[in-house]
Amino acid sequence: MESFGYLLHGFETACSGWNLLYSLIGVSFGMFVGVLPGLGPTAGTALLLPLTFGMQPVSAVIMLSGIYYGAMYGGTITSVLINVPGESASLITCLDGYPMARQGRAGTALGVAAIGSFIGGMIALAILILVGPLVASQALKFGPPEYFALVVVGLSLLIGLMGKSLVRGLIAALFGLTLAFVGMDPLTGSIRFAFGQETLEDGIEFVSLAMGLFGLSEIFMTAEENLNTQAAEIPKIQNMMPRREEWGPSLKAILRGSGIGVLLGLVPGTNSVIPTILSYSIEKKIADDPSRFGKGAIEGVAGPETANNAYAGAALIPLFTLGIPSSPSIAVLLGAFIMHGLTPGPTLMQRNPEFVWGVIASMFIGNAILLVMNLPMANMWAQLTRVPFKIMLPNIMIIMILGAYSINNSLFDVGMMLVFGILGYFMKKAQFPLGPVLLTFVLGKILESSLMKSLTIFNGNFLGFFQRPISATLLIIAITIIAVSIYFGSKDKGIEGDSEI
Amino acid sequence: MKSLEVYISGFFILFGAIIFQLALSMKYYGEYGPGPGLLPLWISGMMVVLAAVNLVAALKKNNQSFADILPKGTGLINVLSCIGAYALFIVTVPYLGFTISSIAMLFILFSRGYTWRRGLCLSLLVTGILFFIFGFVLTVPLPVNEFGW
Repeated sequence: MESFGYLLHGFETACSGWNLLYSLIGVSFGMFVGVLPGLGPTAGTALLLPLTFGMQPVSAVIMLSGIYYGAMYGGTITSVLINVPGESASLITCLDGYPMARQGRAGTALGVAAIGSFIGGMIALAILILVGPLVASQALKFGPPEYFALVVVGLSLLIGLMGKSLVRGLIAALFGLTLAFVGMDPLTGSIRFAFGQETLEDGIEFVSLAMGLFGLSEIFMTAEENLNTQAAEIPKIQNMMPRREEWGPSLKAILRGSGIGVLLGLVPGTNSVIPTILSYSIEKKIADDPSRFGKGAIEGVAGPETANNAYAGAALIPLFTLGIPSSPSIAVLLGAFIMHGLTPGPTLMQRNPEFVWGVIASMFIGNAILLVMNLPMANMWAQLTRVPFKIMLPNIMIIMILGAYSINNSLFDVGMMLVFGILGYFMKKAQFPLGPVLLTFVLGKILESSLMKSLTIFNGNFLGFFQRPISATLLIIAITIIAVSIYFGSKDKGIEGDSEI
Repeated sequence: MKSLEVYISGFFILFGAIIFQLALSMKYYGEYGPGPGLLPLWISGMMVVLAAVNLVAALKKNNQSFADILPKGTGLINVLSCIGAYALFIVTVPYLGFTISSIAMLFILFSRGYTWRRGLCLSLLVTGILFFIFGFVLTVPLPVNEFGW
C-alpha cells in the first residue's frame, strides 16, 4: 500500500509545472523517431539526451523515457503501412500487419496494436510498482562482491545480444569495457589512457559514444540509399477497432504478450526483439489455424506489439532497483541518470522517491497520451513517412552536432562522435554488434569499482566471491549461462534485425 | 582485396595492444588493494586474443571484399559527403564560427538532394533557426567568429 501512496505523490510531480509538457514532448518525439525508419529508440533517446542538460533530473528523465516507450508505439505505423519496421521491435509486426493493410484493414491493425501496447505498458508499470520496492529492499543488502557478481550475470546475458558470431560479440563487449577504463581509476583516482587530452581525464563522453555508434552510423547507412527516393503510397486508415468476433482472440493474445514482455524485461541483457518473436511463435503454435499467420492474423499483430511495450516497461525494473540496464536504450537512460547526478541502484527509491515515482507516474500519463495519438491521430503520424530523407539527414546531423557540443561545450566531443560514427558504420558492415559496446561501457565502471572494492575486502583473494552465498550463487549462474550458450552454439541463433542494438 | 572483417579485427588488435602496453606500465596491485592496471590488462589482453582469433578465421573464410561491402556510385558519394561535411565543420568552426561552418556543412548535404540555390536557402534558414534556439533560447555558448556569429 505504501507504493500507492508514493505513486499518488508521483502523479503530483508528473502533473506539476512543465513535467506534463515534457512528457508530451518526449512521447511525441518518440513517436517521431519510431515512425522514421532508421532512427530507433536508442538513437532517439541519445539525440535528445544533451538537450536535457540544465533541466531538473525528473523532467529530463520523464522526457527521455517518453521517447523510449513512444518509439515502441511509433515503430508499428511504418510496419503496418509500408512494410518497413520503424524500429527493430516492430519487425515481426510486418508479417501480419502489412497483409492486413493490403486487405484494407490497416486501421484495425494499428488499432489493436495501440490497444495492446497500452494494456502491455500498463501491466508492466503495475508490476514495477509492486515488485520494484521489494527488489530494491533486497538489493540494499548487497555489498560490492554481490554487485560485482550481479554485473557479471548481466554481462553473461549479453550473449543474447551478440548477433551472429559469439567471438565478434565478445570483442565488441570487451571494446566497450576498455573504453570505460579511460579516465579516472575508481579506487586510486589516477588518470589512465587519456593520451594527454584533458577532456579525456573525465572519461569518454557517453553522449558522443551513444550518438556516434547508434545515430551517426545509422545516418551513414541510410545515406547509402538514393536520397531522392519517392515516398511509398500510404493505404487509407479507417475502422480502428477489431470486429466483434476478433476481440476474444485479440485480448487473449494481448494478455499472453504482456506476460512474455514483463518476464523478459526483467532479464538483463535481452532486447525488445526477443519478446516479439517469442510472442509471435506462441500465438502461431496455439492457433486453431496456424496457416492464417503471415496472411493477416490479428493475433500476430496484437501479441508481439503488446510484448514489446510490456518489455519496455518491465525493463525499467532492473534499472530502478539494481542500476543495471537491460538493453542499449535503457543504457542511454542510465547515462541520463548519471549525467543528472543520480545514482541508479537500490538506494535510488529511498533517497529520491519523488524522482522515481514521478517518472513512473509520468509513464501512465505518457501511455494514455500515446493511446490517443495512435487511435484518432494515426493518419497524421502516417503522413510523416512521406517526409523525404534528403531534408531529414542534414537537419538530424546538425542537431546531433549541437547536442554533442552542448554537453561540455567541447568540440573534442563532437570529433569523438564522428570517430565513433565511422567506427560504428564499419562495425555494422562487418556484422559486429553495437549493443554490447554501449552496455559494457556503462556497466564497466560499476564492474571495475565493485571488483576493486571486493578484492580489497578479500585481500586480493578472488575465491572470496565464492565464500559469500549471494555472490557465489550469482557467479555460478553466470558461468552456467556462458557454458550453456557456448555449448548450444548460440552464435548461430543471433536475432536478425538488431538495428536497435 | 582483404575483407572488411580483417581490417576491423586488425583495428581491435592494435587498439587492445596499445591499452595492454599502457596497462603494463601501471600498478597491477598496490599497497591497499588492486591497482589501476589490473582490469585493463586482463580485458585488453582478452580483446587482443579474441580479435586475433577472429582475424585468422576471417583470413581463412572467403569473405566479401571491402569493395563489395562499401556502397558504390551515388551511395558512396552520399556517405563521403556526410563524413566530409562533418569533418569540414569541425576543422573550420574554431576559425569561422558556428554560422559559416554550419551553412557550409548543410549546403554540402542539402545539395545532394536539391538544386544549389534551394540548398543554400535551406542551409541559411536552418542555421539561422538553430543559432537562435541554441545561442539565445538555450544560451549554449556556441563557437563564434570575431563578429559574434
